[in-house]
Amino acid sequence: MARAGRVALVGAGPGDPELLTLRAARLLAEAEAVVYDRLVPQAIVERARPGAMRIDVGKGAGHHPVPQDTINALLLRLARSGRLVVRLKGGDPFTFGRGGEEAAYLVGHGIPCEVVPGVTSASGAAAALGIPLTHRGLATGVRYVTGHCRDDAPLDLDWSGLADPGTTLVVYMGLANIRRIACGLIEHGMPADLPAAAIARATQAEQRLVVAPLAGIADAAQALKDQGPVLFVIGRVVELAAVLGADASEIERAYA
Amino acid sequence: MDQLPVFFDLKDRWVAVIGGGPQAARRAELALRAGARVRVFAATLGGDFETVIRHPDRIAHVPRLPAAADLEGVTLVFCADGDKACNAAGRDLAKAARIPCNVVDTPEWCDFTMPSIVDRSPVVIAISTAGTSPILGRMIKARIETMLPAAYGRIAQFVGRFRRKVTVAIKSFDGRRHFWERILEGPVVDRVLAGRDAEAAAEFEVELAAAAAGIARSRTGEVYLVGAGPGDPDLVTFKALRLMQRADVVLYDRLVGDGILGLVRREAERIYVGKLPTEHTASQDEIGAMLVRLAQEGKRVLRLKGGDPFLFGRGGEEIERLAGAGIPFQVVPGVTAALGCAAYAGIPLTHRDHAGACVFVTGHSREGKVDLDWTALVRPRQTVAVYMGLSHLAEIARGFVDHGADPALPVAVVDGGTRPEQQVVIGNLADIAQRSEAAALKGPAILIVGTVVRLHETLGWNATGSQTS
Repeated sequence: MARAGRVALVGAGPGDPELLTLRAARLLAEAEAVVYDRLVPQAIVERARPGAMRIDVGKGAGHHPVPQDTINALLLRLARSGRLVVRLKGGDPFTFGRGGEEAAYLVGHGIPCEVVPGVTSASGAAAALGIPLTHRGLATGVRYVTGHCRDDAPLDLDWSGLADPGTTLVVYMGLANIRRIACGLIEHGMPADLPAAAIARATQAEQRLVVAPLAGIADAAQALKDQGPVLFVIGRVVELAAVLGADASEIERAYA
Repeated sequence: MDQLPVFFDLKDRWVAVIGGGPQAARRAELALRAGARVRVFAATLGGDFETVIRHPDRIAHVPRLPAAADLEGVTLVFCADGDKACNAAGRDLAKAARIPCNVVDTPEWCDFTMPSIVDRSPVVIAISTAGTSPILGRMIKARIETMLPAAYGRIAQFVGRFRRKVTVAIKSFDGRRHFWERILEGPVVDRVLAGRDAEAAAEFEVELAAAAAGIARSRTGEVYLVGAGPGDPDLVTFKALRLMQRADVVLYDRLVGDGILGLVRREAERIYVGKLPTEHTASQDEIGAMLVRLAQEGKRVLRLKGGDPFLFGRGGEEIERLAGAGIPFQVVPGVTAALGCAAYAGIPLTHRDHAGACVFVTGHSREGKVDLDWTALVRPRQTVAVYMGLSHLAEIARGFVDHGADPALPVAVVDGGTRPEQQVVIGNLADIAQRSEAAALKGPAILIVGTVVRLHETLGWNATGSQTS
């Protein structure tokens, strides 16, 4: 009888290959097939066992993403052929990674599925730039949302829930909609001068950080347009970037 | 020694690869990476060649088996066809032409075997088991990969740039050896690894000038603020592991388990700084002072924290203190507890049908009362993860209901998340306090509140210890 395959949904972390977990690296070294996203740097994909199939299902907004159904079917087919399949996702698989949907589909088809958490991009960016996500007197919690909406549908955000100045707000994949997000937050009571940071390629050598008041962050962030996905951190903790972060020459400041 | 390891210069030489499948593709890729030109002999090329044939100027596809004339001027031959007869034919041709030949999965036909490779160019490590056990070779490779950061090659390049300069500046051989040892174990290397070459070069010049003038610079200490992840030692990152193995002294708290402490360099001094919710072994102020003092003594100080240092870890306060005292530091993010618990309990924090946002708060009390901004927590399509909430679970659940949440809203308590003793208790706002009390949980625990908790029933892959209602 053919050996039963299985799928590991693995978080690849925020970008720096050094921020892979030991478990993630070991699964990659054993993988017979690796299915990965655009957000996963090549240096991490190369950790896969030599001879493993490598399949790029890179999703770029507007760049003809591989539909989720196709990815699900692909994972199922690979697992049914008896392979150890590593589904590699940027950051953490259960935070905006649609890992829940993939896992539910596979488990529903009787495929054993393991989930390996990863360092989420927000933690990577925070550490690389010296911005604590929570800090005494500045933020008691942190809220994560995605600024990306499906099939170019209108943004469906719970504005009054998000406009909570005591909680750091992290927006994943927000560049395309940042202007609407910043306006919505200000309309619902966030101070226009609340510090905000836009971060690209955090934890990698080419990381970029732009800091501006909330009202000006949309314009300032355009400087990061061609740098890959942009993460936004909005809240008073951003004030600490200049104090605690790598040195100030790396920070571009913009004032509206 | 069964075989002699050598490193072969293939730049602009021809390599022949027989076969069009994945194994042939890997051979072709390696040869290209070493600067060779490649001719692939195969009826068709499989999907794995897609990435390889992006270099059309260096690789050519010949849709047939090679003839003797095809091997003229070829330096190496790889027979990597799925068909053994094709490989045998290729090998005979190579032998007749006296060209070294490698045949996949057939060590007895090989003039040379392919090692497992750890590529940190210009540093390259080759591991051979002389064809006895490729699996063992891969395991050794995985261990070495763990030890050497991915950007290790940059260190070699950096050092290479300064070699001549150091030879001129420091006359004695022993003096140079000491200097290089000091550099390669110090902060210059970390800057290079972080891609901050300009800073690294500046620091290097200062060190070199001091060494050349015969001034013994006292080693400046530094602090590594490292997230150890949620508990399972397997969820430590490579970067954390590397710094754990370099530390002179480690300050850790109760959220760091023994499994993880076991990864710290054996000779490092260990200092426990608390804190159980009830005990305050060392105050935050004392910890800050201790970090500064130890670093000023020239020590490499590891501040190891459960989860992620910048999420409820008070890491910001500690580095404020260090920055104020002019102590160099690095922050290494970790997998925060909520993400670890979510993954190991099979509860996605966001999901198309359930939640588009998630929020992390602490259930810590201030003067005996839970202090949470309920209106921001009781929202539709939002998952709430509460850290340190176990001892106030009943009060927290009541708070949700009092502020308008449905008493039937699902709640999970993940206790000892990601550790062997993990327990998951599932219930709803109305009954979770009672259920978790019955399970006699010990903490640390994460509460997950929201309809995503329903997915645990199908996704609870780590079924051990899971108590589902």
